[in-house]
Amino acid sequence: MAPVLPLVLPLQPRIRLAQGLWLLSWLLALAGGLALLCSGHLLAQLWQLGTFLAPSCPFAALPQVALAAGAVALGTGLVGAGASRASLDAAQYPPWRKVLGPLLVVGAAGGGGLLVLALALALALPGSLDTGLEEGLGTALAHYKDTEVPGHCHAKRLLDELQLRHHCCGRHGYKDWFGIQWVSSRYLDPNDQDVLDRLQSNVEGLYLIDGVPFSCCNPHSPRPCLQSRLSEPHAHPLFDPRQPNLNLWAHGCHGVLLGHLQGLAGTLGGALAVTFLLQILALVGLRYLQTALEGLGGVIDGEGETQGYLFPSGLKDMLKTAWRQGGVAHRPAPEEAPPEEAPPKEGLPEA
Amino acid sequence: MALLKVKFDQKKRVKLAQGLWLMNWLSVLAGIIIFSLGLFLKIELRKRSDVMNNSESHFVPNSLIGMGVLSCVFNSLAGKICYDALDPTKYARWKPWLKPYLAVCVLFNIALLLVTLCCFLMRGSLESTLAHGLKNGMKYYRDTDTPGRCFMKKTIDMLQIEFKCCGNNGFRDWFEIQWISNRYLDFSSKEVKDRIKSNVDGRYLVDGVPFSCCNPSSPRPCIQYQLTNNSAHYSYDHQTEELNLWVSGCRAALLSYYSSLMNSTGAVALLVWLFEVTITIGLRYLHTALEGVSNPEDPECESEGWLLEKSMSETWKAFLESLKKLGKSNQVEAEGADAGQAPEAG
Repeated sequence: MAPVLPLVLPLQPRIRLAQGLWLLSWLLALAGGLALLCSGHLLAQLWQLGTFLAPSCPFAALPQVALAAGAVALGTGLVGAGASRASLDAAQYPPWRKVLGPLLVVGAAGGGGLLVLALALALALPGSLDTGLEEGLGTALAHYKDTEVPGHCHAKRLLDELQLRHHCCGRHGYKDWFGIQWVSSRYLDPNDQDVLDRLQSNVEGLYLIDGVPFSCCNPHSPRPCLQSRLSEPHAHPLFDPRQPNLNLWAHGCHGVLLGHLQGLAGTLGGALAVTFLLQILALVGLRYLQTALEGLGGVIDGEGETQGYLFPSGLKDMLKTAWRQGGVAHRPAPEEAPPEEAPPKEGLPEA
Repeated sequence: MALLKVKFDQKKRVKLAQGLWLMNWLSVLAGIIIFSLGLFLKIELRKRSDVMNNSESHFVPNSLIGMGVLSCVFNSLAGKICYDALDPTKYARWKPWLKPYLAVCVLFNIALLLVTLCCFLMRGSLESTLAHGLKNGMKYYRDTDTPGRCFMKKTIDMLQIEFKCCGNNGFRDWFEIQWISNRYLDFSSKEVKDRIKSNVDGRYLVDGVPFSCCNPSSPRPCIQYQLTNNSAHYSYDHQTEELNLWVSGCRAALLSYYSSLMNSTGAVALLVWLFEVTITIGLRYLHTALEGVSNPEDPECESEGWLLEKSMSETWKAFLESLKKLGKSNQVEAEGADAGQAPEAG
């Protein structure tokens, strides 16, 4: 029944351990709060960009799990700080004795599990953003003209605001707008010959033009924005094709949004990794402190040396004890004899 | 007859000192808040100084920053004094400085009130600065090749997009200026020549607006050119069309933004001023209560605290008397010097 990783802890090292744990617990609480803020920010961004992400994309699970993990880490840190503070004061420690055991179990299983899950999601999910954004942006572009169709009437406003805010145009470039009809049919003159020609020029009967909406315009351009007849370079006076084209935004919204969301997920992953590390250290330290103080019978100021350990015995022995204890619960009478023999045997060598 | 007398026993004095110590440290926090509000206001004014002709007055944010710093200094000093007030030996050190310090505190409170009032009154000066600045900004919109003004187009476009506004008072302001640079006009075209001949200054005026005036909430693609010509666009009536362009002018939009910013800053500064006045009154009571301890050997005795030793009118008369005495003493010295010189002369 040898304890796992024992550590001898006299009075001074015990006090040092408690003080160090207090600091570590506050750092853990800070890191948990940071992870909470990062995941809250990511959730807010996803809520705003919800229309441009396909509903089947599982990316939204990451900030939700990270939120829970951050909250548990924050709670663990605060309770750990309280416990290590109490372990320095003999009057305050007794109520904490009962709390510490369950806390360690919850912190290790619950908090640790959630953090591992969140880290795994942070590594795996950003890959699914690519297809999710592709689908979502494609749908938004197709519904740009449907300003009077219930359910899609906000697509135009949201896409315009996206292009204005993130400085992008189209899915992968401004030419995406040439392939879809983005002018609502309600505002097309049925008697205009040009309109009829364009409608008849393609199989689906769409009004396709080589122009872009106003939200693609780049304010840095020195000339007023050129939005129409973009495939005819000589349609506009004094257009110099050799000069860098500042007229429209150069990047597609797919690339811009992907970089933005992946950056946020990376920051969140970093915060979760730091929280995970601090949580492991804090829980291990608390376990050593708890077992060392249990060895003294809960008396803080005991001058004696005690041993702190992670587990009272190896894994096999622990499972056997748990199994036997489960057996004792079902059949109390015959099993009581062997444990009663053991304490007198231990008592004799001491006497 | 003292003003607002209050009796203090030892316990009450201790409680007053402790309460004042806490309030002073909270007030240091409030001073930091005022400082950061002043800094934020200064940064916001600097960000848009291009459309204000670089001539906006930074008096209000500068004085808020100064008040914040002074508040931190005074209140931490007062906190130290209150902490020492419970110990007679330490308090004896501060005793001679307390009366002038209280006078300085009263002056600081008056200054803080004046700055708070200025916060609410700044709107008027900002309105005229904005009107001039925006007019010039729109005039220089087309000068993207002129060094020193090449950024104006970008500034005005981003301003109109961010504040959801168009022009100075409305979109028609753009009809009266030439906002397309001559460099991008084809002077061989008949249409361009007609427009330039149509007005005295030879400017290319159009009934169109830049793209940044467009409203994304409009159900139809943005109509920017030929805005007053109903027949140029299908199913378009410029009298009833409301969603196509932003309706409000940038002067009104910027003014309302800065007004709300300064109103909230002024409200916070007013609360801080009330807090500071409470602290000054508390400090005065502590000062007079500790002065009134008649027997320094017996700290348990009762004492009285007051705001003013005599009533308001008597204090004012005494103050005027002391001023007159100061004047008279100067006169007496001058007369003495003259009398001294006269016998010498004579």
